[in-house]
Amino acid sequence: MHALLFGLALLAATPAAAQPARELVNVRVYDVPAGSRPHDVAPGPDGLIWYTGQRRGVLGILDPETGAVREVPLGAGSAPHGVIRGPDGAAWITDGGLNAIVRVDPATDAVRVWRLPAEFPDSNLNTAAFDREGRIWFTGQTGVYGRLDPATGEMRVWRDPEGRGPYGIAATPAGDIYYVSLAGSHLARVDRATGAATIIEPPTPDQGARRVWADSRGNLWISEWNGGQLSRYTPSTGAWRSWRPEGERTRVYAVYVDDRDIVWLTEWGGNATLSFDPASERWTRYPGSAANANVRQILGRPGWVYLPESGLDRIMVVRTAP
Amino acid sequence: MSLFIAAALAASPYAPCAACHALEPGRNSPAGPTLHAIVGRPVAGLEGFNYSPALRRFARRHPRWTRTLLDRFLADPEALVPGTEMGFIGMSDPARRRALIDWLAVPRRRN
Repeated sequence: MHALLFGLALLAATPAAAQPARELVNVRVYDVPAGSRPHDVAPGPDGLIWYTGQRRGVLGILDPETGAVREVPLGAGSAPHGVIRGPDGAAWITDGGLNAIVRVDPATDAVRVWRLPAEFPDSNLNTAAFDREGRIWFTGQTGVYGRLDPATGEMRVWRDPEGRGPYGIAATPAGDIYYVSLAGSHLARVDRATGAATIIEPPTPDQGARRVWADSRGNLWISEWNGGQLSRYTPSTGAWRSWRPEGERTRVYAVYVDDRDIVWLTEWGGNATLSFDPASERWTRYPGSAANANVRQILGRPGWVYLPESGLDRIMVVRTAP
Repeated sequence: MSLFIAAALAASPYAPCAACHALEPGRNSPAGPTLHAIVGRPVAGLEGFNYSPALRRFARRHPRWTRTLLDRFLADPEALVPGTEMGFIGMSDPARRRALIDWLAVPRRRN
């Protein structure tokens, strides 16, 4: 595997004035094995980057220092969607092909699988988040969400009150769990004790919420695919506010909030990732490494943001700190 | 939808599509257009659904969803239509694709 290193000229503009400014940042782009269709990424140990090779049924492990990639097969029929790093340091995967939560041990590559109960077949598992109790919560697009306690192996699965669509899920700094529904166009707060989901309707109808992420103050940032905008929900007040990136046909797929509370989103209409500073309402644009990059998720670690380009079988890495 | 119908659909070849695609005529969602009469239907041809520019361009060269074209698309959507906005990343097993297309070719009224 080789990596491309280049300084990329970026456009940053305030929406009101639309006065572009230029700055240089370091961006690296890495090839992953052809046909991987890397869907999600997560920071692994020692600076490594994990990604789900959805079409190859693997957890990919990229060393950004060398560009080397190693794959951990997850089993026959695997089609992993999401990956996060758990409190135990392991990779935790939502595997739609296996209809299971999968753990990969970072030291031994041992794969452990927790399948969903038989009454929830082909749940189209999507994304996961850990709560403060060390339990992993997950979504399935067929209309379910669930919880696995790795300590006991107990798994519970519930149906979304409005049916199909649960997609992104996130934990707030206070430990609350929220998810969004793409087909249902809503946000939901989950009672961690009972599992009950309370629907929170956004002000924009049919916005098609893809993903959700919490900032350091517990605000929830939501990427609205159909609505083509970024929205913020403040749980303490119930207030919503939205911002629309520039573009004729914006399609906002992924959202992530970094350690500086800068919001990152991917905008497919413009084939770009955008960062948004809520304080200044300033946008910065990071073009895809080629046409049709199709970045479906964003994650990172302090100073770094990872962008899986599923359409190109590449992973872009943005350095955000000197 | 009754629990009986839900269980039948969950066990059908259509299950991987159900999260984004309905089966009733005109029932589109933010996630995807209805699959009603998809086999033989014009590509990117439904009014009321906001198709991607990539699929609209593709439709100029491939005007209808033939069984063969559906099979190629389902195998690797991003390879056949770079820039497609369909979230589904593909179905590598030819037998599963064939079963799904066979299932979709039968008229169905609801999901």
